[in-house]
Amino acid sequence: MPTVEISHISKSFGALKAVDDVSFNVEKGEIFGLLGPNGAGKTTAIRVLLDIFKPDAGNVSILGGAMTEAKKDQIGYMPEERGMYQDIQLENCLVYLGSLKGVASDEVHRRINYYLDRFDLASSRRKKVKELSKGMQQKAQLITTLIHEPELLIIDEPFSGLDPVNTQMVKELLREQRDRGVTILMSTHQMHQVEELCDRIVLIDHGRTVLYGPLDEIRGQFAGHAVIVRTPDELAGLPGVEHIEQQNSSAYRLNLAPATNTQDVLRSLVESGIRIDQYEIAAPTLDEIFIRVVQPGDQEQGEST
Amino acid sequence: MKKFWRVAWHEYSRHVFRKRFLFALLSVPLMIVLMVVLVVVIILMETSSKPVGYIDYSGLLSEPVAQPSVKWPERFVPMVAYSDENSANNDLQAKKIQAYYIIAADYLQSGQVKVIYGDKLKPSDEEQFASFMKANLLANQPPEVANRILSGNEVIIRSTDNSREASNERFVNIILPFLAGILFIVAISTTSGYLMQAVVEEKENRTMEIMVTSVSPNQLMSGKVIADIAIGVTQLVVWALFIVLALVIGKNYVSWLSGLSFSGEMTGVILAVMIPAFIMISGLMAAVGATVTEASEGQQIMGLFTIPIWLPYLLTGVFIQNPNSPLAIAMSLFPLTAPMTITIRLSFTTVPTWQIIASVIILIFSAIGAVWLAGRAFRLGMLRYGQRLQWKEVFSHQKV
Repeated sequence: MPTVEISHISKSFGALKAVDDVSFNVEKGEIFGLLGPNGAGKTTAIRVLLDIFKPDAGNVSILGGAMTEAKKDQIGYMPEERGMYQDIQLENCLVYLGSLKGVASDEVHRRINYYLDRFDLASSRRKKVKELSKGMQQKAQLITTLIHEPELLIIDEPFSGLDPVNTQMVKELLREQRDRGVTILMSTHQMHQVEELCDRIVLIDHGRTVLYGPLDEIRGQFAGHAVIVRTPDELAGLPGVEHIEQQNSSAYRLNLAPATNTQDVLRSLVESGIRIDQYEIAAPTLDEIFIRVVQPGDQEQGEST
Repeated sequence: MKKFWRVAWHEYSRHVFRKRFLFALLSVPLMIVLMVVLVVVIILMETSSKPVGYIDYSGLLSEPVAQPSVKWPERFVPMVAYSDENSANNDLQAKKIQAYYIIAADYLQSGQVKVIYGDKLKPSDEEQFASFMKANLLANQPPEVANRILSGNEVIIRSTDNSREASNERFVNIILPFLAGILFIVAISTTSGYLMQAVVEEKENRTMEIMVTSVSPNQLMSGKVIADIAIGVTQLVVWALFIVLALVIGKNYVSWLSGLSFSGEMTGVILAVMIPAFIMISGLMAAVGATVTEASEGQQIMGLFTIPIWLPYLLTGVFIQNPNSPLAIAMSLFPLTAPMTITIRLSFTTVPTWQIIASVIILIFSAIGAVWLAGRAFRLGMLRYGQRLQWKEVFSHQKV
């Protein structure tokens, strides 16, 4: 049974249809990417999923049914709008937010010590939250998302505001959570992170589903009938190749004739004595797919809905 | 339920254990202590323990009885008898006594005495000599007659339904409801201010989404409301305890406090008015907090409610002159002005029962309306980060 099942949900605010008939499932133990341009409806979809907003239509099933108060303790949510209680000490803030997730007092202190050490925040535990840097607050927020050892993690832009070292640490943490069996729904604009972490994605635009499925399949759908060859030799006049594009001094894109098999091209390259450093099917990056499917002008909308 | 208490304790403790709150909490007791110290110092400055002499030519003081003892901090002045003016004058020059009285032989006919002093006698020392004379003049009278004469007149004005009375000695009872009203309104204003801040806080620091995915909005709001009411009650109880303590102690020493008594009926009326008023004002402040994006913005809007709440206080003079005027009745029925108006009027008149009942009913309905408004504004405005919720949206048919 999927951990999250979103079925034909719609949500409007006045005349604005923020989410329009969106459906997707998030399977147990996977890292799932929720993608879309600014204003596409990602945050609204998450809020509907978390029962913060009631959908106008459609159904949501989370952890096997409708959202309940008890289920809130099994969900870790890091919203895009980062926030902590600013005027209290970091440790007190973490204890309070952890206790609201149903963690016993002793246990909450033990876990806080563990995460403060791991996130290199132990020396700042007595500082007021407002005295911490943006990156430190981001890490503290991640602690509040993980402290109750949730079954489902919903994180919106987990890497924003983090330096490369901390980005790497968060990625490791997400993989570690996935390996523990935690289901992760991640919303981000950073496509290379999605390519690195996610198994499946849904891409929504103007509130509607544009792409949905395993990442490899989606990339396959957008792959042209072409291969990339990296070689120090000159390439010309290969059988079954309609057109050769030289991308740089050693890389070529070979656009194949419809009837040509990629294995036949490889064979003919080898037989021709061409030295091959790299040979791969030309699949577009997620960035390229994103730009291709998202309608022009979307990026200027700006507001998260 | 556990989460509700966690929210409530978090809200309560982070306000109550702050220096700012403790300072505000102790400000009233400190003020009372300061006032008591000032009164004691003034009394001590106004009295002297140095003896006062007398030369009695009337024979009334041949076997003198001392004047009644005085209450601290007033000091007892010993009366010293002299046989002649020379010896009295010598002691006055030597500053052994502060003055001496000459009681003429025909004192019983003339009622005149003569006083010789270096520095003018303090009024309370003059009173002690007068008291000494009265005690000796009444020495042969039965104690009940003597006491009756010494206690003087006490005119009691009583309302026709016997529900209220006033007199010189019981003057303090008149202003008790007035004082209680001010005390309540100050506590209500403080508490509802905290509540407004509490409601806007999660929006201001962007923690609302984390909170509503950890606890239900109802648990969050009710936890905060209970905590803020508890803060108000803490403040009120501490203040009331100190004030009552000061009054109870003070009535033993200060004559105008001696008639102090607490009427159960009056207390009941004040509570019946103040409790729904408390909920109504808290609800309104919470609603304001839910519509704004920052606490400072909310405080400006709060002023709109604070003015009518305190307006009756400014009109106290008008209410004293005519406590049953149409203006007074209208302000007793208008929810925002009712709490203060009713308590002021209770001080100076017998407020008709129908007006109290009508006022309480209007306040209860207003309280229910304010709580509904606050709940709706909170649910509509909780995720409006950096964007104000329009009042027309609160009253629209929008689903929440």
